[in-house]
Order: sequence, then structure tokens, then C-alpha cells
Amino acid sequence: MSLINAHGITKVYRLGRVDVPALRGVDVQVEQGEYVAITGPSGSGKSTLMHILGCLDSPSDGEYHLDGADISALRGRALARIRNQKVGFVFQTFNLMPRMTIDENVALPLQYRGGFSRRERLKRARALLERLGLGDRIGHRPDELSGGERQRVAVARSLVGEPAMLLVDEPTGNLDSKAGAEVLRTFREVHNAGNTIVMVTHDMHVAAEAQRSIHIADGKIAA
Amino acid sequence: MARQIRDWVSEWGELALDALREIWSHKLRSLLTLFGVVFGAASVVSMTSLSAALKTMAYDELSRMGMPHTFELIDRGPRADAERAADLRHVGLSIKDVRDLRNVRGVDAVYARDWSDARLVSTLLDQRVIPVEGVDVGYLSFRNYPIVRGRELVPLDIVNAARVVVIGEELVEPFFGTADPIGRTVTIDGLRFKVVGVVAPVELELVPADFSFLARRMYVPYTWVTQYHRGQQRVDQVFLKVADDADFPSVLESGRMYLKQRHLGADDFEVENSAADVAEDLAMADGILSGWNVVLFTIAGVTLIVGGIGLFSVLLISVRERVREIGIRAALGADDRSIRRLFLAESLTLALLGATVGLLGGTGLIKVTESIAQSFGREFTVPVNMPGAVMAIAFAILVGLLFGWYPASRAAKLDPIEAIREL
Ligand SMILES: Nc1ncnc2c1ncn2[C@@H]1O[C@H](COP(=O)(O)OP(=O)(O)O)[C@@H](O)[C@H]1O
Ligand SMILES: [Mg+2]
Repeated sequence: MSLINAHGITKVYRLGRVDVPALRGVDVQVEQGEYVAITGPSGSGKSTLMHILGCLDSPSDGEYHLDGADISALRGRALARIRNQKVGFVFQTFNLMPRMTIDENVALPLQYRGGFSRRERLKRARALLERLGLGDRIGHRPDELSGGERQRVAVARSLVGEPAMLLVDEPTGNLDSKAGAEVLRTFREVHNAGNTIVMVTHDMHVAAEAQRSIHIADGKIAA
Repeated sequence: MARQIRDWVSEWGELALDALREIWSHKLRSLLTLFGVVFGAASVVSMTSLSAALKTMAYDELSRMGMPHTFELIDRGPRADAERAADLRHVGLSIKDVRDLRNVRGVDAVYARDWSDARLVSTLLDQRVIPVEGVDVGYLSFRNYPIVRGRELVPLDIVNAARVVVIGEELVEPFFGTADPIGRTVTIDGLRFKVVGVVAPVELELVPADFSFLARRMYVPYTWVTQYHRGQQRVDQVFLKVADDADFPSVLESGRMYLKQRHLGADDFEVENSAADVAEDLAMADGILSGWNVVLFTIAGVTLIVGGIGLFSVLLISVRERVREIGIRAALGADDRSIRRLFLAESLTLALLGATVGLLGGTGLIKVTESIAQSFGREFTVPVNMPGAVMAIAFAILVGLLFGWYPASRAAKLDPIEAIREL
């Protein structure tokens, strides 16, 4: 069975009295260990799809199975649990906690997992940072790091809970081409280590990193 | 269970540390927020301490002027209209009664006294009519009348009905001028008495009672008054001090029965419960202080609530500022409970911080009060009231929970997708 198995996903936003359909029946299948890009123009529904696949949001209609579990009916705390266990997010704007050190940032998902002491959490976080070549930055705050480094810290954070997949939204959008290339290389390594990656981007060069692309236009899968 | 408690403590400890970091990054705002809680806690601890100190002082003074654990037997003169046969056998309180009342179980000490008679007192310097009391060994100490010079009466004075006298402080100057009166002689009703001590009036700070008359009297052995002066064996009054651990009412009752039996049922004495007077005074002092406490607690409570409102608004601001952070945490797997805890921890940490600062400030205020009192020459120590301090902390926790709950719940109810959109 596929890792991601989404069928007929629709999402309708209500804006006042108008219904805005963001997704109109999307089917997505992603296998374990795949590196998939979701591309499409701005406003086509990429982020909405990513939020649904990442269990941040629920579809208005459709069926979604993640890692064998039926997600469509889950809400609230149950979704939070799935997010914590199965999904690692990486965002365009890094979204690190400015007042925490980078190791504390990376350790944060384990706090919500529960069952780890602070010492254990930080130990895992530091090991991961070492692995991603950020060992000498341990103990620093995000604002002491370059953009590329911050994004790699975010990658470490997404990996620390050993999720079933990484969901990545425009990871190079806020980076210069050199830092962007560095981050993409990190994703390649992460993928080579056996992780599943679903990456949203409107940049064709970035999408070329993935094994295949799903193209969305106007809330639907385009050919 | 132990493990659960440990987990809980370490979780909230971590939350508190994060909250402190957050609070520290908004120093000025946090300081302003905390003013109310600081003042509330400071007023709770200083007011309760002050009130407790005043209470101790009032209790002390009331016990000093009153006679706790004591009842009196008072001689009732022969009744002209005696109808019952028993009343005709009237004997009254005798020196022998005084001696034997010591045997009543539960009685610690017995002090006889003869009420003052106006007597002509003279020395080379002056001559006037002065009230003279007949008192027992240790009576002056029992009444807490301060002996400022010399000594009070000793057993031999009583046994021998010695002609010795303790004089009031105000009488020293007129009768002896600037000379030391101890060892000198005064003449009372033509008989020469040796001065052995000087008694000063009881000084009270709080209780409005005038004891200056003590310093205008003289005190001689009661045995001299009864035997040699009045020429009889009867005393006016006996004080019976009951042991602290004895049951006061039953000792009083057995004292009464004992005397009644000895007097063959004659109705020749009265019983007065001096301890009840003290208790009444203490209850009155309590009433005044508790009225005061209501006022103080209202003030402290209002201040704390004002502090709580400050806390409330700053938390709402904090929640609005941290919507982005809430979104990130939600994406990382935080559920509503974790988010609520995050902000409750901030609220509680702020409130406890305020309470701690307030406790320190309140303690400082107490010290200032003490030193002001001392600069006026008053001995006034105010120990920090522990229940008050605990109450201030408990209040702060309550305020933190109460006023933190709504902002924290608002944060917890944020739709993660709305929060993440802010990114
Ligand atoms: N919370 C929302 N309320 C109303 N409309 C929304 C909301 N979020 C997204 N949309 C709309 O849904 C469509 C898809 O948006 P989005 O998924 O962000 O696209 P993309 O990420 O491809 O730019 C857009 O038309 C957008 O305006
Ligand atoms: Mg988008």
C-alpha cells in the first residue's frame, strides 16, 4: 500500500457568502521512499494540498490514507498526534523559534511526542545537527546563522521525530542560489537515506530535483 | 505515581523556563504588568504581618493587665437581713482559708489581698492621706506591676506581719525628694515602716487603660492589715491562679464548693471569674482586628484583581504576537492542551514572579515600619506572617490561573491552519 493515498480531495473555503474552491477533486499517491514535487502557479492550491497531506487541515470531501491510517475523519488532537508522528514540515520562511538555541529548536517535536527527557531530546537533536554538518552551530540562536544554515536546521527539526515523510513548502524561496543549492543537496542526502519527501514548489529547477512532479492548476491535477 | 509527579514537575519546570525567557524578552512590559500583582502580594504580606503583630501586642497587654487562668473569692460582709440559718453562721474569708485553698486541686498559687484603706502617711518631707493595700507574697509580680527598685514582699514579711512597705513611684519624690527611698522609713498611722521596694505603673501602648493609680499607692503585708490593724482574721479577697493545663471551670467550681463546705453553707463570699474578663477583652480585640482584616483583605484582593486584569491584557497581546509561533508548534504536533499549557505557564510564571517581588517588597515595608517605630523610641517588632506569605503566593497562583485561562484557551482554540497562514 502507498504511503500517501488521497482520493477525490476537495477543499472549499467560505469567504463570507462565497464559496472558494481551493481543491476540486485531487488524487495523489506517493510511495514509501519517493521524492515527489508538487508544482503549479500561485493560487493553484499547492499549499492547501500540502496542509491536507500534512494533517494540518481536513479536506471538505475525499478520502485520505496516510501510512495505512484513515485520516479523513480525524480532527483536533488526533490530527496533532499524526502530525507529530508521521509528518515533518519544512517551510519557506524556516520558522524557527527565535529565542531558542538551534538544538532546542530541533528537539521541539520530541517534546510533543512525549516520553523523552530534555537531555535525551537535546542529545538526539545535536546528533542530527552534527549529521547535517551544523555541529559547530550548536548552542547558537537562529539569528546567528545564515539563511541556508537556518533552513538546514529546519530540515533537522523535521527529521528528529523520524516521521514517515517530509512535507516541504518552497524551501529555497527565501534563499540565494548558492544557499538554495546547499539546501537541495541536503534534501537529496536525506532522500538517499531512505526518507520520503513531498516538496511544493513553483520553481522548475527545484522540481527537477525530485523523481517526479505532480502538476496542479486551478485546484486540479493537470496532465 | 512518583514517576508521573516527576514528569509533571519536569514538564512545568521546562514550561516555566521557556516562559521566563519570553518574559525576559519583554522586560518593560512584564514589569508594568506585574505592578498590580506585586502590590497585591506586598499588601497581603505586610498587612497580615502588621495585623498579627498588633494582635500579639494587644494580647500581650491584655494578659498583662488582666488575670488569665484566675478566679477570685471575695469576702461578703455579714448580712443584716440574714434570713437563712446558714447565713447567721457567717464567718467570711479567713487567713486560714487562704492557706488551705492552696490544697484545691488544679490551683497553682493563691494571693490574698486587703483592699486599700486611706491612711495617714508621713515622712520628714510630707504628710498626706494615701491608699494603702495589704498584699501577699508575689502579688505584685502576679499582677505584672513592675518593681523598679528594691524588692517586693517575701514570705517572712507575711508570716511576721512585718512593717515593710513597697511604695508607688510617684510617691518617692514628695516623701523622699531625690534620695533613694530603699531602707528609709515612712510612718503609717503612727507606726514606722521600712521601705523595701518601689512599684511603677504598667505601661500599655495599645490598650486604653489608665494604671497610673498604682504609682500613687503603698503596699504592705496583708497579714499586718488583717491582724494588727483591723484586729481580725478576715481578708477581703483571694486570687486563685489555676494551672495552665487544668480544666479552669471545674477548678473554679471545686474552689467554690471547698469554701462553701468549710463555711457550713454560709453565703458569705462571692466568686468572680477574672479569666472571663480577659477572654472578653481578647474577644473584643479580636473583633476590632478582624474588622480591620476585612478592610485590608478587600484592599489586597482588589489590588490583586487589578493585577490580574493587567496580566490578562498582556497575555492577550502575547497570544496575538505569537500566533505565528502557535502555528509552528501546531505543525510540529502540539495539540490544544500543549498550547494552553504554554500560555498558562506564562501567566503563572508572571504571577509568581510578581508575588515573589511583592513578598520581598512587603518584607521591606515591614522592616521600614519597624525602624520608624524604633526611631520614635518604640519597641515594635513585626515578624513576617507565614500564613500571609503563603496566602499571597496562593492568591497569585489563583490570579494567574483565573486571568490566564481565557487568553490561553484562545491560543489553544486557534485553528492551526489560520495560524500557519500568518507565515
Ligand atoms: N483560508 C482561506 N480562505 C479563503 N481562501 C483561501 C484560504 N486559503 C487559501 N485560499 C484560496 O485557495 C486558493 C489556493 O491557495 P493556496 O493553496 O495557498 O495556493 P498556492 O499555495 O498554490 O499558492 C487560492 O485561491 C486562495 O486564495
Ligand atoms: Mg503556497
